[in-house]
Amino acid sequence: MSGPSSRAQRVPTHQGRGWAQDSATSNDWLTSSALDNNWATGLESGTAFLPASTRTSTSSRQALCLWLPTFELRLELVRSPELDTTSVALLSPGESTRRSIWQVSERAYDAGVRPGQLVSQAVSLCTSLTLLEPDPAHYDAAVDTMLEVLTELTPIVEPAGHGRVFLGMDGLGRLFGSPPRLIDRALGSLFQVFPAPLVAATRAGMAPGKFGAWVAAASARSGQPVIVSEEKLTSFFARCPVGALPVDPLVIQRLERLNVQTLGELRRFPEPSLVAQFGEDGKNALAWSTARRIDPVRPWHRPHPIRVSLEFSNPVGLTETLHGALDRLAERALSRPARRGRSVTGVRMGAHLEGGGSWFIETTLREPTSHRERIAAPLRAKMAISPPPKAVETLLLELTSFGAPSAQTSLFDRKTEGGRAAGGYDFNQGEVPVTLRDAVRELKLRLGHSPLYRVVEIDPWSRIPERRHALLSFDP
Amino acid sequence: MSEPSRSHRPRLKPLGQPKAVTVRADEHGEPVHVRMPGKPARRVAVIREQWRIDDEWWRQAISREYRTVVLDDGKVITLYHDLLDGLWYVQRG
Repeated sequence: MSGPSSRAQRVPTHQGRGWAQDSATSNDWLTSSALDNNWATGLESGTAFLPASTRTSTSSRQALCLWLPTFELRLELVRSPELDTTSVALLSPGESTRRSIWQVSERAYDAGVRPGQLVSQAVSLCTSLTLLEPDPAHYDAAVDTMLEVLTELTPIVEPAGHGRVFLGMDGLGRLFGSPPRLIDRALGSLFQVFPAPLVAATRAGMAPGKFGAWVAAASARSGQPVIVSEEKLTSFFARCPVGALPVDPLVIQRLERLNVQTLGELRRFPEPSLVAQFGEDGKNALAWSTARRIDPVRPWHRPHPIRVSLEFSNPVGLTETLHGALDRLAERALSRPARRGRSVTGVRMGAHLEGGGSWFIETTLREPTSHRERIAAPLRAKMAISPPPKAVETLLLELTSFGAPSAQTSLFDRKTEGGRAAGGYDFNQGEVPVTLRDAVRELKLRLGHSPLYRVVEIDPWSRIPERRHALLSFDP
Repeated sequence: MSEPSRSHRPRLKPLGQPKAVTVRADEHGEPVHVRMPGKPARRVAVIREQWRIDDEWWRQAISREYRTVVLDDGKVITLYHDLLDGLWYVQRG
């Protein structure tokens, strides 16, 4: 354990440049991406792959930040340990053309490969570079597992990007003891679910507020957590680079051009000057640097999503087939009892790809709906912009957020429950007539499974006959 | 996004899956007699049409010689000779 040490602090900048410039602290792993500090802006907290949180009034002033740099690449190396000592780079997710590098291993970094480089540049710099396709589904599952196990320690858990999570520590001292013991306990929880090398790389920092905890974690070394007390927070921030501030990167660039490198230097400016130059960001930057602003950790609640998936017998690359499968999935998701009486406001579509890797797109609907076409259309549009990079083995659809039912929807649902819905039209819109639903339920009770199937088009123009049509279990 | 376990995940059942049949071919490789599973052998009366499919070389290669044949009982079936495993199959679709 170490407190705020005398050694110079090295904190990743907003653009992630801090680690890249400083191999002493970064050890072996470098991240490209902007270590997004969106948690500071409140509404945008949560990871890039997780739905937005719903806030409650409960919060914790004392924060513990656990940070696993290059979390995604480390997860890949846990899956493929034979790559551990090679030059490895993880590709950026969500791009189909002009792929760029997201995260790189130490060896690749030594060879000149940098996050953000185009693949062609990276390969020309390091011919032995192993490129890995990102697998967001795998990373999400790991984050879910991490949050689940940490929730057993404290109810106030707030994810802030893959590999980084804030824990509310208020009141836990009486249960678990001193701050070092609390940190040990949190890391011990991670040991339950992650392999030891992954947890050993975790950096931990505890301080009042998320900003303090994050700066503490970022300046910590693996196995040497940094704990900062309220009294020492201001002096601790003095050597912190301005790049750590969760403000617009342009503000940071301008500060650096003005030769304002640390928060200590920033504090020398009067607030009116900073506000005049940088507006709200200037005001916030000063508040953080003087420890006047303490952002509490807020519990993160994820609504239970409705998930459906469809596994293809052969990997599918044809857009029309994927569109058809999306329609079927939307119908099934909408017909789930958990969805009834609620409209859908957010959806996410993903796929497991042939040869490994996964792909995702996400959209927020313009208006709440319970109609298949209104859900599928924006996803189709997004898929046209960012199609799956490889053939799809399994297609996934997730209804991630829900709205209150409109008056019409309630009326509609009551009508359906009364058995007066018109069969064909409603069925096409994802609503299954109640009589058919009851019949399937009875058959399932009797036989243990639904014996009904629908014939669906897979690739109707395929030259290979068994690829054209398939049976899909009908289980509303 | 985690999803249902693999065993519970709905899976598409392809229609028109090929079924192995016993075929006696002449010296040119053309089918002469066809015996479907559990049925007596039938003579091929006429070969109506034939075509070849070579596909998916990048995945698991497919190489088939299809023939639409009329059997001596008047039944029309589609046969193919799998050029990779050397077996004959009947297929709907």
